[in-house]
Amino acid sequence: MKLYEYVIRRLIFMVFVLLAISIIVFYLTRGTLPPASALAPYVTPKMTDAEKLGVAQSLGVAELGCPSYSAYIARASGCIVPLYQQYFSWLRLALTGNWGYSQIPGIAVGTTTWQLFSDRFPYTAELATVAVILTVVLAIPMGIISATHNNKLPDHASRITALAGYSMPLFWLGFILQLVFVLYITIPHGSEQIGLLQSSGTLYTQCAICFSNPGSITAYTGFPLIDSVVSGNAAYFWDSLLAIALPAFTLSFGTLGALTRVVRSSMMECLRQDYIVLARSKGLRERTVVYRYALRNAILPALTITGYIAAALLGGAVIVEDVFSWPGIGAAALDASLYLDVNFLELYTLVAAVIIVVANLVVDVLYAYLDPRVRY
Amino acid sequence: MSNHNDQGKKSEETPEAAREDRQAEKKEQPSGRLAEIRFALYLARRNPLVIAGAAISIISILLAVFSGFIVSPDIWKVSNLGMRLCWNNPVINWHISSVATCSGTEVFPLGTDAYGRNLLQMIILALPLDLETSFEIVSSAFLIGVVLGSAAAYMGGLVDEAIMRVTDIFFAFPGIVLAIVILTVYGRTLPNLTIAVLVVWWPIYVRLVRSQVLSEKEKPYVEALKSTGASPIRILYRHILPNSIYPVLVQFTLDIGGVILVFSGLMFLGFSPDPKLPELGNLVSDGIQYVFTAPWLVIFPGLTILVISLGFNLLGDGIRDLLDPRLRR
Repeated sequence: MKLYEYVIRRLIFMVFVLLAISIIVFYLTRGTLPPASALAPYVTPKMTDAEKLGVAQSLGVAELGCPSYSAYIARASGCIVPLYQQYFSWLRLALTGNWGYSQIPGIAVGTTTWQLFSDRFPYTAELATVAVILTVVLAIPMGIISATHNNKLPDHASRITALAGYSMPLFWLGFILQLVFVLYITIPHGSEQIGLLQSSGTLYTQCAICFSNPGSITAYTGFPLIDSVVSGNAAYFWDSLLAIALPAFTLSFGTLGALTRVVRSSMMECLRQDYIVLARSKGLRERTVVYRYALRNAILPALTITGYIAAALLGGAVIVEDVFSWPGIGAAALDASLYLDVNFLELYTLVAAVIIVVANLVVDVLYAYLDPRVRY
Repeated sequence: MSNHNDQGKKSEETPEAAREDRQAEKKEQPSGRLAEIRFALYLARRNPLVIAGAAISIISILLAVFSGFIVSPDIWKVSNLGMRLCWNNPVINWHISSVATCSGTEVFPLGTDAYGRNLLQMIILALPLDLETSFEIVSSAFLIGVVLGSAAAYMGGLVDEAIMRVTDIFFAFPGIVLAIVILTVYGRTLPNLTIAVLVVWWPIYVRLVRSQVLSEKEKPYVEALKSTGASPIRILYRHILPNSIYPVLVQFTLDIGGVILVFSGLMFLGFSPDPKLPELGNLVSDGIQYVFTAPWLVIFPGLTILVISLGFNLLGDGIRDLLDPRLRR
């Protein structure tokens, strides 16, 4: 089978998986939802009952023959459209990007769910990207050192770090890091001592302790780090970097272990191969053998894991976003959960599922492209 | 995968392999399995981390089981506001100026919380819920995995395809998000919390058991059993599964720690049925508002989660190494 045939087959299967997920999410969220809550994202309080009924009918949740809005709310017979029919009208709305208005208090009235999601998504994406970069930068050297110093002190140290990452309650690590870097380690700033790192909110809600007054930037992409570079605002960039340091490190600490373990075992496997023995017997330096010969083959499994990690982080860093008051989609999902804004939760779940499915496909295709031995 | 293959050789179903193994170890033991256990114990002695993991796991389980005898189960309903946020531990000096100094002779090893309750007792009281829920979730996932995974692998064809495609769908769900959706819609109760975590946890066991059974069922002893006329159910449950279960047990041990993290994380996020319920995530979340005056309220419950989870992870990691002959010597 050719690679493109494989990709097409996977794409077709992907559509089915996403449809199945949308059905599960729809039935989970709508199965027991009160009729008024299902309608809430699409109506404003000012509407009359007749108008609300009209909206309900146009959305396909109320039958056209329904006599009144109160009858719809009371789930009178002949008023509620069967759930499986609702699914199709819901799917049509969802695919056209109509997710209604956000129900979360504190968000400007009239903000659509889609708008809220796309405003918040860059923050999560930026956090996930920095965290993945940190994970790769930390875990790959750790894995290599672990493999080359097998069963010696560096190996033990990196394995314990990896295990600690697996076992770390990230919400707790986040708070401890904030305590240490914001409260305990201080640097002189003007006449007073301030925390070494600015926490992005939970412990200090006002920016009275900012290093500078970074001013504002134009939102070209929504990613603070990129926008500040494009706008040429160095102070803003520096502050954004400080703000992202702790949450990104917390996230990457939780994912470090998986990558380290894979790099270590695949590196150990590679170092046992015949071509490594040959390279060594040719008299090549150990550094060349490890980094030029073994690493190239050992890095492939690491790629797979990195893809999964990236997808998982993009799809939801709920806990870390909550601890650091990071304005991403995960934190917004918690608010949505509090105010029963199921539309946001549905959108969030579906987008996260799309990210995960697409990332899996990209990783598999990239793997086949990079490793000529893999054929489908 | 190969670790269990070697494991399979050593079991009673293949006497030749077991004999070979014994010869290789140059030990004359009454039975292969006993020799195996003694050898594993010998290896464990050389690996202090496994011992530490086993000790932490056993101590935490014992503390959880007997927590009702160690502390009064009603302590979480009692409040003694005269003793709130005290650090009456003369051994450790906290060096925080804002710590409330409570006059009194009673020593609190880990301080007191905002209701004047002994934090150490609260932590011990919180252990059973975390461990019990974790065991419940992982055992259910394990059972689902064994039933579905072995059915998929052993029956093959349409059954395999159907089970694995459903698994794929659940693999594409973003872990904690689905749990949040379930808890939002169906309410924040303990059974819902358990189900919410279980829903995202079972697929990995199906895949694991399936891949183990798939590689095990091609072995000659299965062929031999078939030729003696053993029923497929008997072959699967009496012979194949016992031989392929070890890596799944490793995963079980590792996941006890993992589920505690997710469960306490959900509690921390506010999905607790009762915010005052003694649970480690709840205790951390309770302590956060006092983090400047009484940092121990955040530090120690979280540290407990870390230590317990690390204990089970060390144990699982160690068992994996013990079972993997390539890493033994």
